[in-house]
Amino acid sequence: MNENEPHTLIDLKPLLEYDSVRTWMDGLRQHWGGDPETEDLERLPIFEAFCRQVGRDPDQIVKETTMIKNGQRRIRIQGRNRYAALIEEWQDTVEGSRFRKAKWGNTVRSFLIHNGVLLQSGIQT
Amino acid sequence: MEFKEVIGRRRSIRFFDPDRPVEREKIQKMLEAARLASCAVNAQWARAVVAFRKDLTDDQFSRLKTPVAALNVDLAPVHIHWFNDLSVVKKIKGSRLKELVDVGALAPTHGWSHKFVDEFVYPQILEPMTEGPGYPIASTFDVGGAMTQALLTGVDEGLGVCLVTLNGAVLKEVFNVPEEWIPLSTILVGYPAESWDGGGQRPRPPFEELYHEGAYGTPFRRDAAVTEELKVAKMIQEPAKPHDPKRIAEIRRLAEQYGLPM
Repeated sequence: MNENEPHTLIDLKPLLEYDSVRTWMDGLRQHWGGDPETEDLERLPIFEAFCRQVGRDPDQIVKETTMIKNGQRRIRIQGRNRYAALIEEWQDTVEGSRFRKAKWGNTVRSFLIHNGVLLQSGIQT
Repeated sequence: MEFKEVIGRRRSIRFFDPDRPVEREKIQKMLEAARLASCAVNAQWARAVVAFRKDLTDDQFSRLKTPVAALNVDLAPVHIHWFNDLSVVKKIKGSRLKELVDVGALAPTHGWSHKFVDEFVYPQILEPMTEGPGYPIASTFDVGGAMTQALLTGVDEGLGVCLVTLNGAVLKEVFNVPEEWIPLSTILVGYPAESWDGGGQRPRPPFEELYHEGAYGTPFRRDAAVTEELKVAKMIQEPAKPHDPKRIAEIRRLAEQYGLPM
């Protein structure tokens, strides 16, 4: 995938059926406590919107930002850079306040972070 | 602040107040402390480039804001980038050792003389050392000591500090440093936006696991009276607790304040 590739329609299962989304929820639960599936009802719809925007399901996004090398899971630097840029571009298109844009972008960043992909975004507010 | 408390209060601060500038004189004090650090053969390998974030050009700033460092460089008002100048030993050729002889730091009582430096130390030890694979590692050890003194001085000045590693190749280009300088770590400096204790002293392995007495395998005996004394002196402080609700609440607040992912 590159930035110039047209977005494709994608069939998505319910997000919680993806391993990477369950990993994300487990990470949120472990770190912050509470029930991440219900405490913020916007979280999953926002993430689904990103998946549809880039034409990738959640597990594919993780595959494109990580790889297995010599039996170890590693971060794909180019993949991470590409997604960092895609997230920024996408959150810029969100209507509303800067806080709202940040929330949309950070939702996707949170998904990657809890799947082991370190990603910093700078101050968003 | 008393010395032991400075050690006890130091934390790797990761949430800085980005809008509160750091006084230039405090940065100078950190650098002065680094310059006075112990250093093998008095070579002084440590070099630093101080970057005040407000003075960075847009191009410099955007190149430093990589996906792994964007928040670090955004939040900290000052970045001190440290390098190891590997060329220094061949440039000074033992002259700083002879300075030490002249001021009485190295004396004939311990076998030192100008002649020893000129005929043995430089040509037979130092110069060959610079060709060996261990040279960058050994010299970097001393730069680390200098950086530590700078870190602690920052704490003593009421600042938050954090040692991080940025992209060395980018640093060399952005700050146009000489080819022979090896990029090391960066000290981020600013006033903490988080509580100064950052949730408590960080976890450390047990004392007895790290230190031995007489020979390997015999742990150095840790005297409880000494640790109590160090608690009173605030060097040993309350340890951070896993999943501490107070700390989690603080990070949540900071994440909301700066718009950070959770």
